[in-house]
Formats: sequence, C-alpha cells, structure tokens
Amino acid sequence: MTIIATYNIKGGVGKTSTAVNLAFLAARNNYKTLVWDLDPQGASSYYFRVKPKVKGGSKELIAGDRELDGLIKATDFENLDLLPADFSFRNLDLVLDERKKPTQRLKKLLAPLAKEYDFIFLDCPPNISLLSEAIFEASDLLLSPIIPTTLSLRTLEQLKKYIKDNNLKNIQLLPFFSMADRRKKMHREIIETLAQQHPDILQSIIPYASDIERMGWERMPLGGYTKRSRSVEAYQSLWEELLASIK
Amino acid sequence: MTENPSNFELPSNLSAKKFISKLTKEVDLQIVTQQYTIKTFYDTFDWRLYNANMICEFNHSQIISRLALNDNKKGHSIASLDIENVPSFSQEFPDGVFKQQITPPLEMRALLPLCHLPYETYLINILNKDQKIVLRLQIDDYEFLKNRIQLHPLKGYDKALQKFTSLLQDKFELTPSTYSTVLEEALKQQGRKPKDYSSKLAIKLKPDMRADQASNLIYKHLLQAIHTNESGTIADTDSEFLHDFRVAVRRTRSGLSQIKNTLPAEIVAKHASFFAWLGQITGPTRDLDVYLLSYPQYKDVLPLTLQDNIAPLHDFLIQKQKQAQKELAEKLKSPEYNKQLLAWEEYLNEPLPKKSAASQADQTIFELANQRIWKVYQRVLKEGEAITDSSPAEALHDLRKTCKKLRYLMEFFQSLYPETNIKLAIKSLKGFQSVLGDFQDYEVQELSIKDFSDEMMREQVPANTLLAMGVLVQYLDTKKCEARNHFSQQFSLFIEAKNKTMFKQLFTQKA
Ligand SMILES: Nc1ncnc2c1ncn2[C@@H]1O[C@H](COP(=O)(O)OP(=O)(O)O)[C@@H](O)[C@H]1O
Ligand SMILES: [Mg+2]
Repeated sequence: MTIIATYNIKGGVGKTSTAVNLAFLAARNNYKTLVWDLDPQGASSYYFRVKPKVKGGSKELIAGDRELDGLIKATDFENLDLLPADFSFRNLDLVLDERKKPTQRLKKLLAPLAKEYDFIFLDCPPNISLLSEAIFEASDLLLSPIIPTTLSLRTLEQLKKYIKDNNLKNIQLLPFFSMADRRKKMHREIIETLAQQHPDILQSIIPYASDIERMGWERMPLGGYTKRSRSVEAYQSLWEELLASIK
Repeated sequence: MTENPSNFELPSNLSAKKFISKLTKEVDLQIVTQQYTIKTFYDTFDWRLYNANMICEFNHSQIISRLALNDNKKGHSIASLDIENVPSFSQEFPDGVFKQQITPPLEMRALLPLCHLPYETYLINILNKDQKIVLRLQIDDYEFLKNRIQLHPLKGYDKALQKFTSLLQDKFELTPSTYSTVLEEALKQQGRKPKDYSSKLAIKLKPDMRADQASNLIYKHLLQAIHTNESGTIADTDSEFLHDFRVAVRRTRSGLSQIKNTLPAEIVAKHASFFAWLGQITGPTRDLDVYLLSYPQYKDVLPLTLQDNIAPLHDFLIQKQKQAQKELAEKLKSPEYNKQLLAWEEYLNEPLPKKSAASQADQTIFELANQRIWKVYQRVLKEGEAITDSSPAEALHDLRKTCKKLRYLMEFFQSLYPETNIKLAIKSLKGFQSVLGDFQDYEVQELSIKDFSDEMMREQVPANTLLAMGVLVQYLDTKKCEARNHFSQQFSLFIEAKNKTMFKQLFTQKA
C-alpha cells in the first residue's frame, strides 16, 4: 500500500483535482484505490457525489471508535472508494491535540487498510498544523502542486525546510507544476527558472484548462466525461511519473 | 445481522422490459447496457468444480466474452477471465488466480460445456438524489427459464440495498432465489441434474436379496459406467474416460470370477473372454496416458542441465499415444465390440429364472458377500505373510492382484455393511495397496522407458535425450525400491490387531 498526500500550504492550487484524477487513473489500472477527503470543505466528496458526512464526526474517528472500513463508500467507478469528509473536520487539530501521540494517529488508523488498498490518496486541507504533521508521518509521498508564480518559489522552499527541520526522512516530496498557463509569459519563465533551481520538480505539467475546471459541474473525475484531451494526457503523464518514482 | 438475498426470480409471465418499466416508477434508474448474451456452464464430466462448491460460466456477447468462476451458493465471483475461447485443460489457462483456483480440483480432467442458455442481460444503476450510483442490478431475461435479478451492492450503501430489497419483496412480491438454481433448472430441461455422474460405486443392495439378483444389479451398474464413458474414450476427451471405462471393465471381470457360482458357468465363460479382450485392447493407450500425465514429474526430477533434453520423449509419447488411441477407437467402434456388449446387456435384462442353474444363485447376497470377502481376505493375509525382504517381485504382484479382488468385493457389497466400518476397512486396505501399486507402476515405467530409448535411438534422437532418459530410469528404479522397502511396514499396519478384529466382526457376522 502506498499512501500519497496531495499537499500545499495554500488553497486553490489543484490539490483536490490532482487527488481525484490520479486516484481515478490508479483505479482504472486495476489498483484498489481509496481517496480520503480530509478537508472539511469536502471538495473531493462533492466530485464523487458522496454526502460529506461521517458518523461520529472527527472525535470518534480520531479516537478509533469506528473502523475506517465501515465509513468507506464505493464511488461510481470500479476499484475506487472514498472516505468522505465531515464538517467537524474543521476541528481535527483540536481533537488530535487531545491524543497522546497526535502525529502518529493517522498512520495508525490507516494501517488496517493496507490489505484492502494498493493506493490511498489523502486530499489535505491547506495550512501547516498538527494535522499536516500527522499527514506527513502517515504518507509515503507528498505530491505538491505549484502554481508558477513568484510566490510559489518561497512556498516550496518553506516546505522543504519544514521537512528537513522536522527530520521527516521517510517521506518523498514530489513537487509539480499545476494550473500552468502557456499563454502567460510569466508562467513560462517561472517554470523554466524553477525547474533549473529545483531539479526534483516533476516533468509533467498540469495545464490550466477549462475541461479540468468543468469537474465541479460534472461532479466526476475528468476521465469520467472526457476521453481524450491535453489535460487527460497531462494527468496520465503525471500518474506514470508518480508510479515510476515509487521505490 | 441476516444477510440480504442477492438473487430474485421474476414470475414466469413478467418480462425484463415490463419489470424495468414498473421499476422506473419506484426508483431513479439508468440502463447502462442491454446485450444479447449466451451463457454456457462448464464443468468436468464428474462435476469436480461443483463438488468444490464452484460454478464456471462463460458469457459471450458482442461486447463481452468472459469466463467466470463463482461460488455455487451465493454466486459471488471467485475469479474471472476475459477470453474468447474456453481452454479444455487447466494447464492451458493463463497464469493467475483463475488457474490457481481450478488446477487442484480439475487435475487431468477437461472442462466441458454443460448447457447453453441464450438471454438478454440488462445492467442497471440505481441512483440517489445526487445522481450517485447506490446499487447495481443485473436483470437476465432468459428464453427458456424464469427471468432473474441479481443485486450487486456497493460498499457503504447498505441502506439503499435494504430499501431496494424490501421494494422487490414487498411491493413486487418477488421470491429470493439462489444463484445455482439457474444451472439446476437448465439441466432439468435436459433431464439432468448436478453430480449425476461419479466414478465411485454406489450400488444399493439388500442383505436378503437373492445372490444372482444382486450380482445382476452390480453388473448392470458397471455396464452403465462402460456406456457412459464410451464416447469420451473414443473421442479421447480426457484421459479419465478411458480410465473409468477400464475400471468398469476390470470390476466386471473381477465380479465374474469372484462373485462365484451366481451365473451359469457357460455364461461366465462366454462373456469373461470379451471383457478380458476389452482389458487388453485398452491397456496400451492407458499406459501411454500415464506416462504423459507423469511427464511433468519426469522432467522435474532431472538435473536442470538435462531438463530441456528430455523434450523428444514427450513428442515420442504423444505420437505413440495418438497411434494407440486411434487403434483403440477403431476397435470400440467395431460391430464386433457392439455385438458382444449388446449380448451382455441382453443377458442382464433377461428375467431371472425361478431356480438358477448356478449352485450359489439362491443364497442371500449377504451370505455370499461374507463368504467371499472373508475367503479373499484370508488369502491376502496368507500371501502377505509369506513375503520376506528377499521374495521375488512376482510374489508382490500376485498379492497386488489379490488385494484388488478384495477391494472390489468390499466396494460391490458396501451397502450391506455399517457405513463407517466398511469405509474404515476399505481405507486400511487402500494404504497398503498403494505401495504395491507404486511398486508395479515404477517397475513398468522403468522398463517402458528403457524400451522407448531403443526405439528412439533408431529414430536418431540426440545423445543427451538418451542420457536424460537414463537418469530418469535411475530415478524410477529408486522409487521402485523405496516402495519395495515400505512394503513390510505397510503390511504390518494392515494386519494390526484392531484391523483384524474389524475384518472379523464385519465379515463373519450372521445377518
Ligand atoms: N488545471 C486546472 N485548470 C483549471 N482549473 C483548475 C485546474 N485545477 C484546479 N482547477 C480549479 O481550481 C479550483 C481549485 O482547485 P482544487 O483542486 O480544488 O484546489 P485545492 O484542492 O488546492 O484547493 C477548482 O475550482 C478547480 O476546478
Ligand atoms: Mg481541496
């Protein structure tokens, strides 16, 4: 089982779109796949048309009173399941803080799912908090979307520093460009310079595209309504690069 | 929690189309596909998958061609395979779960089509308010059977499932059904049922039956087995047809010589020679079948460096088996064979005479069974006890034949004795018979491989092939000696006091 978190300190950078579309591709390639919607806004739950409601809320979930397996919903796609979000997830930090080893908590909760799933995607809320620490502990890969703006360089460096300062050796950071607009000169330039300064940034670039934006209207992953397009190819390429970088 | 039924039958006058249109008024549904499909059930001739609680079905339409292995009670999928044609033998399947599941039960037997069922299948999604799929349905509209619904629940949507099940049961008044009834009903239309063939003998006798009447029943039963396996033997569908055919012939011969004096002597003489001939003409093909079945093992025992060199032996065996099989098939299609078999059948169908010419025909079968089994058992003990470590191979071969006679007698007359005890007695004999069988088989194989090497040398096979066969002969010889060495231990197990008491109690009691 490989656990992949789509993470960035900032919101609106494409974390949810990435988690949902890559999970769709994993499932279509016959991997048993789960998406865990950890964001109280419930965007990935919305894309799969699943009610953002978890019995017992964040308290019982974190306490381990309910097995995760019993909260999982099948999506409309074969091999692809979802653990929905709940509004109470907005206080996940507080609930975690009451536990003895808060940062180990998610890892422990996820362990029993190892025999059920090949891939688990954690769709994370933005910010750095106790929850993100717990996510870092639980994940094998940290897939981080970066919008090619001047600010994003700083965000990436902050994240790297954080991983280094906290001695998170077991996690592999995979940054990639998201919502890249080829028509914008600034985007092209930043991609070029950043790629040079940070050779660990993945080659695949997810373009800014209207068919990706349409996901919210269609309420399903891109591949559910579009068979072939530049965006479909971009996610396919990102998926292959991701697979190849799994040790 | 009680489990939700997942299969339902529609009343015989309700078509899938009509049902779906009624359903549309109750739930939000979406028809995903509608396909004309042909379903073919597969199993071996002796129901090995069914006996292992599995049902194999092949569904073929313009868009799918899928072989599925399902649990025969609940119908859930154990494995499935997208293929165009169904292979006959397990080793012809692609590696994977499907092959892993079928290989142990199938062994050497071929998968055969049981029946074809044309049907129209509808895949349907049940949706909730958010247009999210909460349940999948499959509705099968059969041409010759009642139509059926199968529910495929989705994880986390138990409530939707329960609601829908209640709708089917309460509103539509449908009866829950089981998955296997499709197969059962399709077979019924052919006048068949699952497990209608087994190579095991199951003859029901009554202790006070007249001996000639009982032996007649036994012979009829064996004749049936000969008939049943005949066409598969001629077609060489798989090697077990011939095997079962030969067993029935051997049992008949054994009956004729061992169930003494129940048929008139001239009748026995007349038919015994026919069955002896049958035994003889089927021998060469069976031997070659055995070598071919053992071939993977032959290859395995060779050093890695020689494993590829043995391949010409395989080709040679295949050629020889084909030739022997062809000759056998011709003989089994000959007028002579049919005439003789018919004569035996007619004799068995004649009404029994009030007073038979045979001296023991009027005895009860129970008396005769006791008497014969006890006598042959004594002979086994006598021959076995006379064998020492230095006895010649012939002594073991003779004992093997005597054991076989005893085994057949006990099997013929099983139903006359308490089930657990007779089974134990047969089992105690089996263990010890198998060393004798191994001893004989390894010897025959060793000698045959030696003969083949002579023949193959004339066909100028590579030297390394002969070398590999030499190593094989050595291996077979070692196994033969192993079996010989195990003999005295196995025999002493067989003559343990508790076994002796058991045989005595079983076969010397009064009715
Ligand atoms: N590559 C893209 N091109 C165009 N719009 C995108 C793209 N990726 C995401 N979006 C849109 O941007 C918004 C934020 O994306 P989302 O994946 O939810 O980001 P996050 O999870 O980081 O907040 C959504 O409305 C989404 O439809
Ligand atoms: Mg999000």
